[in-house]
Amino acid sequence: MKAQTALGAAAVLLLATAVYTSLLASPPDAFQGEYVRIMYAHVPNAGVAYLAFAITFVTSVLYVWKRRPDYDYIALSATELGVLFTGLALVTGSIWGRPVWGTWWTWDARLVTTAVLFLIYSGALLVRGLSDDPQRGARLAAVIAIIGFLDVPVIHYSVVWFRTLHQPASIAPGSLKIAPPMLVALMLSLLAFTVLFAYLLRLRTRLARLEAGVEL
Amino acid sequence: MNGVLRAAAVARKDLLMEWRGRQTITATGMVALLMILLLGFVLGSEPGRAAAVLWVALGFAAVVGIPRITQSEVEQQALEALLLYPGSREHLYWGKGAALFIMLSALLVALLLLLGVLFSVDVWTHVGALLGVGMLGIVGLSAIGTLLAALVLHVRGRELLMPLLLLPLALPVVLGGVRLTETILAGTTSALWILVLVAFDLVYLLVCPILFEVVMDEA
Repeated sequence: MKAQTALGAAAVLLLATAVYTSLLASPPDAFQGEYVRIMYAHVPNAGVAYLAFAITFVTSVLYVWKRRPDYDYIALSATELGVLFTGLALVTGSIWGRPVWGTWWTWDARLVTTAVLFLIYSGALLVRGLSDDPQRGARLAAVIAIIGFLDVPVIHYSVVWFRTLHQPASIAPGSLKIAPPMLVALMLSLLAFTVLFAYLLRLRTRLARLEAGVEL
Repeated sequence: MNGVLRAAAVARKDLLMEWRGRQTITATGMVALLMILLLGFVLGSEPGRAAAVLWVALGFAAVVGIPRITQSEVEQQALEALLLYPGSREHLYWGKGAALFIMLSALLVALLLLLGVLFSVDVWTHVGALLGVGMLGIVGLSAIGTLLAALVLHVRGRELLMPLLLLPLALPVVLGGVRLTETILAGTTSALWILVLVAFDLVYLLVCPILFEVVMDEA
C-alpha cells in the first residue's frame, strides 16, 4: 500500500515536471511552431500503449502455460490500459495531424496498425466480458492477446507496403533528429507516462484480484 | 489410428454434413455475391477494382461462414462427444481447418468466375496463379478462422464478435490478396507479398493448433 502511494506521488510529480518542460521550458519547433507540443502527449501515449500490449502478451503466454490467476489479473489490467492509451494516442495523433499534416486522418502504416490493434484488443476485452465463465473468459482473452501480438509485425509491414505521411521516427539509433531541449522534454514525458502506467497497472491488478476474490 | 487419419475423419464428417445441408456454403455464397454486386454497383465495375472487391467479398463471406463450422456441434450437443474421441485435440483443429479450407476454396472458384463475368477481367489466362494466390490467402483465413470458431463457442453473441476478431487479425491476408491479385491480373507477380502471405500462414499454422487445445480445454 505504501509503495503504491509512493508510485502515485512519483507519477504526479513527474507529470507536473513534464507539463512544465513540454509546455513552457522547451522551445517551439522550427517548422511546426507550438503544435510540436502535442508530441509530448502523443508519443508517450503510443509508447505506453505498446508497452501495455507487450506486457499483455508476456503475461498471457505465462497464464496459458502456468494457469496462475495472478498472470491473468495483470494481463486483464494491461489490456484495458493498453486499449485506453491506444485510444488516447489515436485522438492526440489526430489532433496533431490536423494542423501539421492538414488532415485528421491518413492511411499511413502506423495509424492503421494502431487502429487495428485498438480493435483487436477491444475484441479481447469483449470476448472476456461476454464469456459464460470468468476462467474461460481469461483463457480466451489470453489466446486473442497472443495471436494479436504475433500479428503486429505482419500487420505493420503489410500496411507499410500497401500504401505509404507519417514522419519517420525522430529517435533512431545512430542519428538524432531532435533538438536536445526537446529531447529532454520528450524523455521526461515518456518517463512520467510510464510511471503513471505502472501506478495504474498496479492499482487495476489489485482491483482484479479483489474482484476475483468476491466472485469465488 | 494415426493423426492424419483422425483429422481426415473430422474433415470428412464436416464436409459430409455440409454436403447434406449445404447451408453454410449457400449463406456464405450469398453474402459474397451480395458484396460483389453492391461494391460493383456503387464503385463501378472497372477491371482495376476487381481484386479489392474479390477480397472484401471473400473476407465478409469468411466472417459469416466461419462460426458455422462449430455451430452443428453446439446445436446437436455433439461437442463433448467430439472432444471425447481418443487422441490429441490438435487433430480436431486440422480436420476442421481442412474442411473450412475446402469450403472457402470452392467459394473462391465461384467468385473468380463471377468476377470474370461482372468485372470483365481475364480470369482464364491467369487461372492457375489466381487460384494459387487465393488458396495461399485461404490457408491463412482457415488457420486463424478455425481457432476463432472454437474460441467464440462459449461466448454470447458469437456472430457479432466474429467480424470484430477475424477482420483485424486477417488484415494482412486481405491486403496481400488484393495486391497479389492486382499484379497477377496485370501480368506480373510480387515476391514481397507472397512472402507476407507465406509468413502469415506459417506463423498461424504453427501457433493456432497449440492455442486450439487451450481454447478447447474444459476447465
